[in-house]
Amino acid sequence: MRNFAYYSPKNLADAIAAIRDSGGDILAGGTTVVDLMKIGVREPSALVDITGLAELEGHEIGADRIRFGALARMGHLADDKYLVAAAPVLTESLWKAASPQLRNVARLGGNILQRTRCPYFRDTAYAQCNKRSPGSGCAALDGGETSHHAIFGGSSACVAMYPGDWAQALIAFDAEIHTQGPGGRRRIPFADLHVLPGDTPEVETILQRGEIVTEITVPIVPALKASHYLKARDRESYAFASASAAVGVELDGDAVRDVRIALGGVAATPWRARAAEESLKGKPLTEESARAAGRIAFADARELEGSAYKIKLGADVVAGALMTAKSRANGGK
Amino acid sequence: MAQTINTAVTRTDAPRKVTGTATYAADVMPAGMLHGALATSSVAVGTLTGMDISKAKAEPGVLAVFTHDTLPDYKSVKGFYSGGPGSASFWPMDTAPVRSYADNPSSASYWPMEDVRIRYAGQPIAYVVAQSAAAARRGAQLIEATYDVSESHIAMDPEQSFVVGAGEDSKGMVVTKGDLARGLSSVAQIVEAEYITPFQHHNPLEMFSATAEWRGDRLTVWMPSQSVRTLRAGIAQAYGLAETSVRVISPFVGGAFGSKAGVTPYAMLTIAAAKAVGAPVRLIVTRPQMYTVATFRPESVQRFRLGADAAGRLTAFEHIEIAQTSQFDQVVNAGTHITRAMYACPNIHTEQRLSRSDTNSGGFMRAPNEMQTFFGLESAMDELAIKLGMDPVALRRVNDTDRHPVEDVPFSSRSLMQSYAAVADSFGWADRTPEVGSMTDGDWLVGYGCATATYPTNILASNARVRMQGTGQAYIELAAHDVGTGTYTIMAQIAAARLGLPVGACDVVMGEADLPVAPISGGSTTAASAGSAVHDACLKIGRQIAAQVSAMSEGPLSGVDPAGITLENGVLKAPDGRSQPLVEALASTPAGEIEVIGEFRHKAMTDKMIMTTFKGGYGSAGPVTPEMAMFAFGAEMVEVRVHRWTHEIRVPRLHGAFAAGTILNRKTAHSQLMGGMIWGIGSALHEVTEIDKPRARFLNTNIAEYLLSVNADVREIRVEMLEERDDYVNPLGVKGIGELGIVGTAAAIANAVHHATGTRLRRLPIRMSDLVGKA
Repeated sequence: MRNFAYYSPKNLADAIAAIRDSGGDILAGGTTVVDLMKIGVREPSALVDITGLAELEGHEIGADRIRFGALARMGHLADDKYLVAAAPVLTESLWKAASPQLRNVARLGGNILQRTRCPYFRDTAYAQCNKRSPGSGCAALDGGETSHHAIFGGSSACVAMYPGDWAQALIAFDAEIHTQGPGGRRRIPFADLHVLPGDTPEVETILQRGEIVTEITVPIVPALKASHYLKARDRESYAFASASAAVGVELDGDAVRDVRIALGGVAATPWRARAAEESLKGKPLTEESARAAGRIAFADARELEGSAYKIKLGADVVAGALMTAKSRANGGK
Repeated sequence: MAQTINTAVTRTDAPRKVTGTATYAADVMPAGMLHGALATSSVAVGTLTGMDISKAKAEPGVLAVFTHDTLPDYKSVKGFYSGGPGSASFWPMDTAPVRSYADNPSSASYWPMEDVRIRYAGQPIAYVVAQSAAAARRGAQLIEATYDVSESHIAMDPEQSFVVGAGEDSKGMVVTKGDLARGLSSVAQIVEAEYITPFQHHNPLEMFSATAEWRGDRLTVWMPSQSVRTLRAGIAQAYGLAETSVRVISPFVGGAFGSKAGVTPYAMLTIAAAKAVGAPVRLIVTRPQMYTVATFRPESVQRFRLGADAAGRLTAFEHIEIAQTSQFDQVVNAGTHITRAMYACPNIHTEQRLSRSDTNSGGFMRAPNEMQTFFGLESAMDELAIKLGMDPVALRRVNDTDRHPVEDVPFSSRSLMQSYAAVADSFGWADRTPEVGSMTDGDWLVGYGCATATYPTNILASNARVRMQGTGQAYIELAAHDVGTGTYTIMAQIAAARLGLPVGACDVVMGEADLPVAPISGGSTTAASAGSAVHDACLKIGRQIAAQVSAMSEGPLSGVDPAGITLENGVLKAPDGRSQPLVEALASTPAGEIEVIGEFRHKAMTDKMIMTTFKGGYGSAGPVTPEMAMFAFGAEMVEVRVHRWTHEIRVPRLHGAFAAGTILNRKTAHSQLMGGMIWGIGSALHEVTEIDKPRARFLNTNIAEYLLSVNADVREIRVEMLEERDDYVNPLGVKGIGELGIVGTAAAIANAVHHATGTRLRRLPIRMSDLVGKA
């Protein structure tokens, strides 16, 4: 690890200035940045520790939206019984992520910005990685192992997968990100936060240098209560999704009034499956229509060797998640 | 047997481990200690064309950077002793004592940093010494190497395999009995299939480390080790030192599983660096580097052809094992030796083959011969049972045998079907409906599977020193190891039982090469071999004290013929009924204390076997002696559930019943068997070292992405230990159990997955992706 300067500003303005002046990285829970520093992928000259900024803590369930401070810990929220009742997809996607140890230190602002687990990105022994070293090539696409790579949103420069869980719930339910930076405050639709790799996979979000995520808000809609996060993984805990689905439904009798579907473990960024949603609206939600929606969700997937299994797996996971959401919409578990 | 044997005794070292006062090798900090770090090759095959170490040397705190041409006095250790390349060489137990690596004519051992050659990815290329571990690691990151890269491949090609050894060396590698073709010509059913197992790494919780301190020509090395005497012998030989000048200390080991068995390049680099800088140096290998600087379980292909008559009796048994090996070593984990011992069959053919690829050499990993091969054999038996329309347990029953099918000697004991009966009862096998997919529970497809477990009983020569005091204290000293298994506790139990003392009064010292000879802790040997030496020492104490007190003018045993006095549960007993507790008898002698060396030498041990063990090698007299075949047996049954939507595979219940002779400690033995079964779940469903084919590198070199079973994957595990008496294996009647538990699990799970889903999966690990679109 490269030696670095360490700052711990006491307020948001000082934090923004410290990042600008030092050129450093933001440190919150540290579960991504410290990890990447240890393995030599990130070598910042400074870390600006924002965990002292009390105004970024906490969360509350309001009348029309749920607000999360960017420094709220994953572990605390996953255990909040009011949140479990109001928005199961938000808590399920938190407690199915990482391990208890990681959830106890990782913060929400950092969670949505976590970096890919692509082994070629994470191991500096590979000369080829356009995300780590722009223009160097892609070892994964150069005959590499691609069983954990993106079948949506990848490019010829990069097929690294976005690994997070919670982000799928956020994109499904039209969350917004609130930021503060050198240019002032912004509200960003969560769906606009991440950008596709294209020719510049080193650019992952629209955030500017020094721009700090301060809070995340999720509008409360009826489908949020009948929501579910289904995560398929080879071991029962502490594993990234092979495929996952964040879903929610609002029924009008038998017919679907509102439905949300987002896909994890399969895409370069958080991924909303709008065509699959449209296929269900106004129609009965049955096992058959759920399976059809799953297939529609994956109709445009890239046939990536190694990750081809995700197409069928992901479709089954979407269908299974929808059936649970339907049961919840009808008052079940 | 006395009261402390076969009871559940809590580990004597548990308080020290729980409170953090147990000193592991890397906890030691000699005065003035510096820190080492390795830089490793980013390419697999080629030559170094340049190394820029200027940035590394400029890093604050870095004191020295050594490369292949600047590290003075770096010695490689060739032969069986070497831990990376060399120690991986592994010859079958029943052909001859282990031959040294130098006896192998068809390969050459290879050590890093001797020249500019690169032969595997992750090969050490430089060694950095610094004032802090952080500075050393940063220095290693800053080394810039350039290479002339050659073509490489990491996955083995089974079609490019060759038979192990040549001429006399291939004895036991190709074995034929009867006429396989004839056996195949008259069968009711044949199963012909190929089963594939992946590269796996040990991933012990305790990192690899070495700390070296020179004082003149005297050297001390602290290092977690399964074989302190092997390590000392290798180091002394390499540096031309007397073994008395080299101390090797390894009091506690945080998991080894075969990965800490020999002398490794990283140890010898640390020793050389400490000499070069004139100060003690400690190296802690990083987790990713642990995948390339020691050994691993090589990938393998297991080819089986099993033929049976209509009653299920095997008429043809063919097993060809093809295992990956490096370009420079023949890594032989001879699994065919174990499979052909399993079932009665008149026509048997087995072959042990290897196929080379560009890796460091593999080695031993828990049940190194058995895990892969029994996944193959026991899956094939399940397939055969289905073809025959037989219950899988019934198929094992009709093929059970009390004689070794090839060597034609009896088993010293064999409780296979008793194990099946016990586990079937505890598991509820009778509730199984045989039709595929016939058992469901909501969204879960349910399957039951079973498989046989076995493990050879390896017995090696051992000594042990026991000093007993009339005040009621005993000291037991031997160069054995507690690799987390409970050895400190069972050695104390054996002495306590024989000497009539509380377990807590028996102080055990191990893990240092200067202590009396004990064998390598590998191949489930320690309890049987080292334990028998402790047992012998205690009996000697009894005889010597009997002789003394019978010659005394007073005392309960005065005047008794000492030849008739026996030691039972710590009491000296005369034929006429007179008796005296040993500790009282000892207290009455003039010295009031006694010290003896106990020995374990089985009658089947040749001088060469004993000599090999005493040199630090592996001179096992088992599992097959001229008179007997010695194996432990067991049976495992498992319930598997496969989710209808996610295809996730879960294991709610795993039961095992095992018979392994005398169980010394029911608590630590239970833990060993349970730990093996849990690792079996990992082998079946989770563990695989992924590979990057174009660049011949191991890919998921961390324990986030190398999936080990976590608590949530391990539900109900039930272990039953059956009574079994075996007077042949050793005086204690003990068979090893450290590896037995893992052997049958993967096949049992694969068989249960088939029962649940109808999909037969012949490649480990079995993953959701294998079932998508099928179940």
